[in-house]
Amino acid sequence: MSTFDGGIGSRVVGAVGSARSRLAALADRPTTENNLVGYLLVLPNVVVFSLFLLGPIAYAFVLSFQEWNLFLGTGEPAWTEVFGVRLPVANYLDTLMPLPWENDWGSIRSPSYNLWWFAVRNTVAYTAVVVPVQIVGGFLVALALDTRIRGKKVFRAAYFMPVMLSAAASGVIWRWVMAKNGVLNELLRPLGLAYPWASSPDTALAALMLIGLWGGIGFNMILYLAGLQNIPEELYEAARIDGADGWQRVRHVTWPNLRNTHFFVTVLAIIGTFQVFGIALAFAEGGPARATTTIVVLIYETAFVESSFGRAASMAFLLFAVVFVFSYYRYRIQQQQEVEY
Amino acid sequence: MPPSNYDYPGYERSGPAYWSKTALLYGGVGIGALLWSLPFWWMLLTAVSANPTGAGSSLIPAETTFANFEDLFATQPVGRWFFNTIVFAGSVTLFNLTFDSLAGYALAKVEFVGREKLFLLFVATIMVPSMVTLIPVFILLSELGWVNTYQGLIAPLIANPLGIFLLRQQFKSLPSSLGDAAKIDGCNELQTFYKVYLPLAKPALATLGIYTFVTTWKNFEWPLIIASDESMYTLPVALFAVRNQYFTEWGLVMAAATVIVLPVLVVFMSAQKYFIRGMTLSGMKG
Repeated sequence: MSTFDGGIGSRVVGAVGSARSRLAALADRPTTENNLVGYLLVLPNVVVFSLFLLGPIAYAFVLSFQEWNLFLGTGEPAWTEVFGVRLPVANYLDTLMPLPWENDWGSIRSPSYNLWWFAVRNTVAYTAVVVPVQIVGGFLVALALDTRIRGKKVFRAAYFMPVMLSAAASGVIWRWVMAKNGVLNELLRPLGLAYPWASSPDTALAALMLIGLWGGIGFNMILYLAGLQNIPEELYEAARIDGADGWQRVRHVTWPNLRNTHFFVTVLAIIGTFQVFGIALAFAEGGPARATTTIVVLIYETAFVESSFGRAASMAFLLFAVVFVFSYYRYRIQQQQEVEY
Repeated sequence: MPPSNYDYPGYERSGPAYWSKTALLYGGVGIGALLWSLPFWWMLLTAVSANPTGAGSSLIPAETTFANFEDLFATQPVGRWFFNTIVFAGSVTLFNLTFDSLAGYALAKVEFVGREKLFLLFVATIMVPSMVTLIPVFILLSELGWVNTYQGLIAPLIANPLGIFLLRQQFKSLPSSLGDAAKIDGCNELQTFYKVYLPLAKPALATLGIYTFVTTWKNFEWPLIIASDESMYTLPVALFAVRNQYFTEWGLVMAAATVIVLPVLVVFMSAQKYFIRGMTLSGMKG
């Protein structure tokens, strides 16, 4: 199983590891032949990584300072004046201006002032709701399934099914579930609560959150189930001897001992929700009235519908800047992950 | 499964407190599971209902019909979409397994200059949001004339940091003495890799293979960008297109959804062990 050991433990492991690799290096030095074989074996990946990841990252950065259009075919620096200085930052300024607090916070309230800030608003609201609820929800389901409950596999499969689906399928199916004459309203009509959930700008984002939770809880359930297996039985036993009841054991043994899982799950959830795209597009195509236009939906539209590649690249880098802290932690976790087979 | 918080010797399995807890547990988990499956049930139901707009349907079908499926197969190239998706997911998986086992082996077992730095560079790319790279990759592929081609669909997904990470870990976990013995017996580096280590890496290859196949199969954003011609759609893009074409004909749209979702669930749920493994190791929703 995966573990994330950020503290002293990893430093000790690191020290032992480097001592071992120094020993190994003595026995197996990089000879000319080793170098040749090594480079030959990594060559296919070096080529595809350079062409499709590393090169494009560098090119996207250049692009974000350029006026680029698929029909023009070439990029020109996107010049603009900033405090009397000519700089190629027109894309960034076009994206960020007017600032959110201008026009009496107009761009937060309505998509007509600045769509970028409106998309940021939608994405932040989505993240703020979906991340905590899917974490607590995933934890509770995992806790419930980590008991002597019968039919564990069937229940687990039911919660896990949405994770296997394409975002396109989730979005389209939920659009029909929440349609005016969809099943949700069939169920709510007797209570007098029928409402066009998906096609009203007031509820579309909340509906999108629900779809996110539908997939997210099953995903987190799996990570928590894995985490629960790592808690030593002795801790529960000790707590029982000390007279802790079931709830107290969850509160004082289970929850604190899942520290690493909480961290991992939170980082992943934030990265994922900040880049929510497929379900938003398939569910409502960013509408109605831009209510489900998230940051990545806006980037997609700007690049692949409007062909404003420079502008879209600037947005993509702003997104990168926002999620970087979390992505960095994810990278650290990934590096330190131990895999046993 | 090891004993847990609610499962230990001496746990009282009788009395009102136990039964009310049990009822709460089954009730909560059961109602949740029903709600979770509701969208699937609703999809199936609409697909086999006679009313094309699905209006006024209830949770129990009055009469069932396959008219929606017949319509769908008569008007849309569903077979072609299946074929495209299999070619797409299959090729990406094969390329990943080949390239990443070569690189993973080199990064774990061959001492060459700059090895650790190269590995960190590969893995560091997981930090970058996909939207950053998709734009330049799309421009590159349009210059090459690879839009709406299989190579355009497949090539960018071959670069996969997770695959390199997983297989490097796997090869690292295998003792170096095996390779040393093989070399004393006269194997060169490639033979050692192919004959000794690769067969031992099967668990990681299975995990990576199934995980890559499933995530590629359900990938929506990349085919959406690169496959704009109906004949090049993969299933997720096709479903999105069908939905936009038959806006309120939910019977037909849900028939398409069923055709896409059902085989996935049946086949993939049987391989979920590997998929879950890949998911927990990568932490990528895919």
